Amino acid sequence: MGTANKDIEIQNFFIFNSLFGPKEGEELKKIIYYYPIDDNTGVQVENVGLVEGIIQFTQTFNPSNPVTSLHTSKMRQLYFQPEPNFCFVLTLTLPVVTKIKESISTIEYMEDDLQDNVYESCLKQLYYMYRLFYGTFESTLANHNLDILKTQIETFFNPYLKTIKMDGLDILTIFKGIQYLPLDRQNFLKIQCFINSLESKWEYIKHTAFLYNEHVIWSGLEPNSMQIIYQYLIETLLPANAEVELQGGSIPRNSSLPFSALKHGRFITGPSNLKHAKTIGKIPKIYLFDENEPKEYHLVIYRALSATLCLLIDGSIQLKLNDFQRIDDHINPKISPLVNDIAEYCSKQVVTPSNSQENSPKFLYFNKLNLAYKSSVHLDNKQKGNITCSKESLRIMADMKNASNFLGPAGENIVKTTNDYWVFSKTSNLREFYIVLQQKNASLVDISEDVHRLCQNELEGIFFHPV
Amino acid sequence: MSEFEIEPGATKDSVLVTSESFDNFEQMSSSLEEIKYGNVKPNDDPNSVLTDDNQVESTSNTAETQSANANVKDEYVENSIDWTNKKKHVFVLSTAGKPIYSRHGNEDKLAWLFGVMLGLFKYSHDSIKSIHAGDTTYLFLSKKPLILVAIWKTKESVNQVTLQLNYVFNQIVSMLTLRRLIKTYDERPNYDLRRLLTGVDRLIDHVLDFSENEAAFTLGAIQCLPLALSDRDAISKAIKDACGKIKNLVFAILLGNNRLITLVQMKKYHLHPADLHLVFNLVQATESLKYSESWTPLCLPRFDNSGFLYAHVSYLSEDCQACLMLLTVERDVFFPLSNAKQKIVEKLRISGCMEHINASLLAMEESALASGFSELRHYLYKCKSTAQFYQPALSPPYTKDKIKLMELYKRAYQKMHCSTRQLKLSFERSFDEVVFSWDTKGFELYAIFEPLIDTQKVIHCVSKLLDWIKKREDKLFHLNAYTF
Repeated sequence: MGTANKDIEIQNFFIFNSLFGPKEGEELKKIIYYYPIDDNTGVQVENVGLVEGIIQFTQTFNPSNPVTSLHTSKMRQLYFQPEPNFCFVLTLTLPVVTKIKESISTIEYMEDDLQDNVYESCLKQLYYMYRLFYGTFESTLANHNLDILKTQIETFFNPYLKTIKMDGLDILTIFKGIQYLPLDRQNFLKIQCFINSLESKWEYIKHTAFLYNEHVIWSGLEPNSMQIIYQYLIETLLPANAEVELQGGSIPRNSSLPFSALKHGRFITGPSNLKHAKTIGKIPKIYLFDENEPKEYHLVIYRALSATLCLLIDGSIQLKLNDFQRIDDHINPKISPLVNDIAEYCSKQVVTPSNSQENSPKFLYFNKLNLAYKSSVHLDNKQKGNITCSKESLRIMADMKNASNFLGPAGENIVKTTNDYWVFSKTSNLREFYIVLQQKNASLVDISEDVHRLCQNELEGIFFHPV
Repeated sequence: MSEFEIEPGATKDSVLVTSESFDNFEQMSSSLEEIKYGNVKPNDDPNSVLTDDNQVESTSNTAETQSANANVKDEYVENSIDWTNKKKHVFVLSTAGKPIYSRHGNEDKLAWLFGVMLGLFKYSHDSIKSIHAGDTTYLFLSKKPLILVAIWKTKESVNQVTLQLNYVFNQIVSMLTLRRLIKTYDERPNYDLRRLLTGVDRLIDHVLDFSENEAAFTLGAIQCLPLALSDRDAISKAIKDACGKIKNLVFAILLGNNRLITLVQMKKYHLHPADLHLVFNLVQATESLKYSESWTPLCLPRFDNSGFLYAHVSYLSEDCQACLMLLTVERDVFFPLSNAKQKIVEKLRISGCMEHINASLLAMEESALASGFSELRHYLYKCKSTAQFYQPALSPPYTKDKIKLMELYKRAYQKMHCSTRQLKLSFERSFDEVVFSWDTKGFELYAIFEPLIDTQKVIHCVSKLLDWIKKREDKLFHLNAYTF
């Protein structure tokens, strides 16, 4: 069967603005960023030209939204226009399967395996991640100039594109959800007190978020802002630091372990070693768009044991080394007992045994209101294909997510695949729940009973409309 | 759920070639030359199969008179909001960008648009397939030497509309043959094909509406007129007897009310449902066939797209509105076929079959509710091995909203047949209904239930339904194939 297969790869990625080169012969001026750099300018101009043609052609027919994707026999192109006249274009190669039939091998492009809704989300995230660190294109143009904008975009995207692996993306990319850690009241209140005292002591700390391992316990940010900061923490900042912290030791698979070796708290953005530091080090500036006007903040991150504390400090403040010393003096003694309490609480809440077996049902839950997700399908949240069910069933989930537009505000769906496993989905009240069951000889009636039981066990207390 | 043993409607010798409806549309099943020269000398005069211009003119002429007012297209101000908001646009152009067909609006006034579409197609190195923008989808289909484009705001999938465009292309081929189409453009790339296609607009318009509204197209299957087995056999036999001695008669098709009554065929030759759909389309769209016997060349693209068959088309009689089509490879046998038709009519009258056909044509099919399935609103049952299907009469809430029902079925079919993620079964509940789809080795079933039904009841009802169909299979399906 399949040999010499190829996964989804980035063919090119570019950003252009048609207004920048309206005259003939000036087409190159439209291009603000183009990846990969080894495509010659002729190819670049041609690619932009095709996109412009498609945008114009599609508008003739008054679509409800601007164009989002182009399918051709070998590639997929996705579009996103985040700001007026600026267009993001991501071109992906279709996954390829080589099939050998009667000793003749044929190449087949698996069009249905590249799902628009997954990769549209991925493209949008590219922009939102950029905007988090540099603000909008328009504001850069208004305050600086095009050259600076181009430099910023290059500095950001050149390394960022290299880190993205297109292949492991699935329905989680659509959710871009946040994992929360449910705590008992006592512990939750302790953390709340700790944060309140911190925020009242330093007025320039505008927002705070508290994470334990990769789970959010408290966030004072708007969900949309937290979503993108969370992605940055989980995908970029924390993994990079985990390597530093472990210093050569192998990285344990279990995500609860990597940071436990750390005894004392320290800043991971800001001065890394307070005793010897001479400067405050590098602190990322970020822009949040919760209100009408974007706001600028310093993103200061402090880690102690398995806990991560995000402090969003008013961007107009000039932070000095002794600010950090005072914050550290305040946090350090308080945070260790807090983290120990959480760890103790968590160790008592051993993961439900129902999910330990190989063939046990795997589930995925997402709540659009607080962006929370829970998954026993994904072993980690790195989107590197570390999953407990087949890729096919994840694709079926994304299909179901797509179909939920047809089903209205509430609906459910059970399907049986040709490989004899079952996928279930239920949408209600802006919450979504998916289950994969590997039970070969089960009937539809058995499965619907199983699913009913699982919903009651796993989602106890979560309100679903009875469908 | 255990696979059901029974497979209602299955039979050993199917009258139709079977295939998935999303299959490759270019594959042909037969060769006309083989039929014509199979028993005589091969390659005697292969070109004679290709018709000359006169022959085509005669089609066009009949078509023209039939559609005297078809050219009075609705007047749109092209590019107005009314025009852009049409549910589905379909355009056909040549690879040189010459406009051939536009579903809404006058092609000549849309020349600019045809130019843009050709530009996009060429600019993408002929590889463009579809574009997606919110509620609107744009599809490009290259069928050499033509390019077909559809732009729609309905909820249909790309596969479904691709299927529709294939029908449009086949409709054009059925009037010209592919050989002639290619030859025309080889010789004159800038040729205005509309000159050869006068009156075909109307057939294309009709095949578009037809394929949007009829489950037969979605399923790639044919629905039969319910008739007792003995009646259907008697009719087939009457046709066989009357036509058995006529040389080179390939198919005899009797249809009524958009349902197949019977199909008798030359040994070894089979008709593809997609071709039969074109025959249905021709009969449905051509009112004038009712008033006189007609003789028309017709190419069946899935049978052999390089040459014409000749069709003798007539309604049985004024008091029996079933249409008989006799298809031959001989171009000058109008009178023998006309005689044969008279003989068939006489036999059917004497045997009483005519009355039974009339009774069935007039009878309304039962709704699922009337058949005793209280929570089943509607269903489609397709027997895969024979490419035949059955559906009950519409019942509320779909009597007033057939489009919604078709949308449900199209979506269900698409979901079950997604190329890399085919499903065996799906149970889908929304506020409005439950859609149950089941694809087994022998059959496909799509059933719509009341929204609050539970899975237990669905399974119970489905097995009852299969029994119900099994009991009536000899009436609902064409089981015994007769050959000349």
